[in-house]
Amino acid sequence: MLEYRNVHKSFDTEAGSLVVIKDFTASIREGEFVVLLGPSGCGKSTLLRITAGLEPPSRGEVLIDGRAPDLHGRHRLGFVFQEPALMPWRDLVSNVTLGLEIRRIAKAERNRQAVEILRLLGLQGFEKYYPHQVSGGMKHRVAIARAYIVDPIILLMDEPFVALDAQTRESLQRDLQDLWQRRKKTVIFVTHNLEEAILLGTRIVVLGKRPATVQMDYEVRLAMPRDPVSREFVDLRHELRGMLA
Amino acid sequence: MAKMREVEPVVEIGEMTAAVSRERVQKLSRDRRRVIGFNSLSLLLFLLLWEGSSRLLHSVFFPGPLVVSRTFVVLLVEGDIQGYTLPYHAYVSLYRVLLGFGAACLTAIPLGIILGLWRPVYFGTRVVSEPLRFIPPLAWIPMAILFFSGLGRYVFLIWVGVFFPLFILTMNGVSTASPTFVDVARVLGASRSFIALRIIIPNALPQIVGAMRAVMSPAWMCIVAAEMVAAELVGLGQLINNYATLLRMDIVIVGMISIGILGLLLNEALMAVERALFRYRQEVKV
Repeated sequence: MLEYRNVHKSFDTEAGSLVVIKDFTASIREGEFVVLLGPSGCGKSTLLRITAGLEPPSRGEVLIDGRAPDLHGRHRLGFVFQEPALMPWRDLVSNVTLGLEIRRIAKAERNRQAVEILRLLGLQGFEKYYPHQVSGGMKHRVAIARAYIVDPIILLMDEPFVALDAQTRESLQRDLQDLWQRRKKTVIFVTHNLEEAILLGTRIVVLGKRPATVQMDYEVRLAMPRDPVSREFVDLRHELRGMLA
Repeated sequence: MAKMREVEPVVEIGEMTAAVSRERVQKLSRDRRRVIGFNSLSLLLFLLLWEGSSRLLHSVFFPGPLVVSRTFVVLLVEGDIQGYTLPYHAYVSLYRVLLGFGAACLTAIPLGIILGLWRPVYFGTRVVSEPLRFIPPLAWIPMAILFFSGLGRYVFLIWVGVFFPLFILTMNGVSTASPTFVDVARVLGASRSFIALRIIIPNALPQIVGAMRAVMSPAWMCIVAAEMVAAELVGLGQLINNYATLLRMDIVIVGMISIGILGLLLNEALMAVERALFRYRQEVKV
């Protein structure tokens, strides 16, 4: 349902043309949790932006259900950026319901859905708080809720937990897993952390250094929820690390 | 089991937030007391220095705060030679300033928003707008005298002095909106008008109100200059000008201080509006 065909992206800089993605081809099925794993600055984020239609590819094409992504609401997408980017003048509920407001859904219905998803993410009671009144981890939860609430056909996540401390990150990873198991979505999750990739993904696509090309495409068959200190998890991590070296 | 895990950390966070805000409130009232203390002290020091240097100089052209405050009371109660009291002078000037300032807000802010959203128009008209911007308001006085009379003249001169800084500051506030906010809305399918009205303008509002506060001082500069060249008898600028020719420096200083106090009050009022509207903006402390 999501198809990348020879996607190529380069930026023109003063020093010449900088190729960030080279000949990326992949096919992603509905309901997969795909983790794009690669070193920092390898073009993973650009790939997500192209998938969302925020930027065009230089060559090649991205097809969502057979059509190129466009921003005019034909494809419902969710995007969780690296920083939560909550609007400080909106309380948590109206941050979460931004996408429903854009779709002109009635306020009562918007709020009903927001309360439900905030509860799933452990934020009940904080509906009327403003972003500056809550912690960094809570902001990230709200950003995830904002993307999830529009019931996207694809959820794109660009290293959403990279700025968090280890403890908060773990609890968010758990909650994302819970949420994903309850409401299955196609997710493309970008990270440079192998452990995070194994913890969350049903499939790991490893990208090399810039320009991004596929080095390995691996199906993770561990049962969910995954335990990072379990034997199977540790073994798999060693195996993958060995393959990457 | 999964449920327990969800709820646990958040209760903790909630309690922490409450504790932090309690502590913050206590700290605020402590800070406020300190600020009031320091300001009383610096006012006292200023008055002492002024009185001392006035006595040292011993000149009729440099009266100290004691003489000036006696004059202040006389002007307040009895008024000047023409019988106009100080509050009346202040009221007339304030009225003119607020009209000119309002006219500038009504024109500069919408134009700044439009051109901030539509930068090519600004860049395409810079050859006209930039030179205009650099003409000091005082250079407009001859034009103002020829083409306007009465209240219109004052309003025009204040408008000229306030319009450009307000326009530029508004435009910059609008055009520096966070690109991620815009991306968030675009991915969710927002139209251009939704992004402009619901994302970019609310995001720029604190900067726009800040700009309104910043242009208060050029507004006062313009009104005093305008009143000094006009033929009318009332207004703080006129008060200063009239008594300067009579070398009554005590009255001149009363006029100057009145402008300072009015400016301070307007500034505080706008700051209160800012605080009420933009509670989400945290002050940065270094």
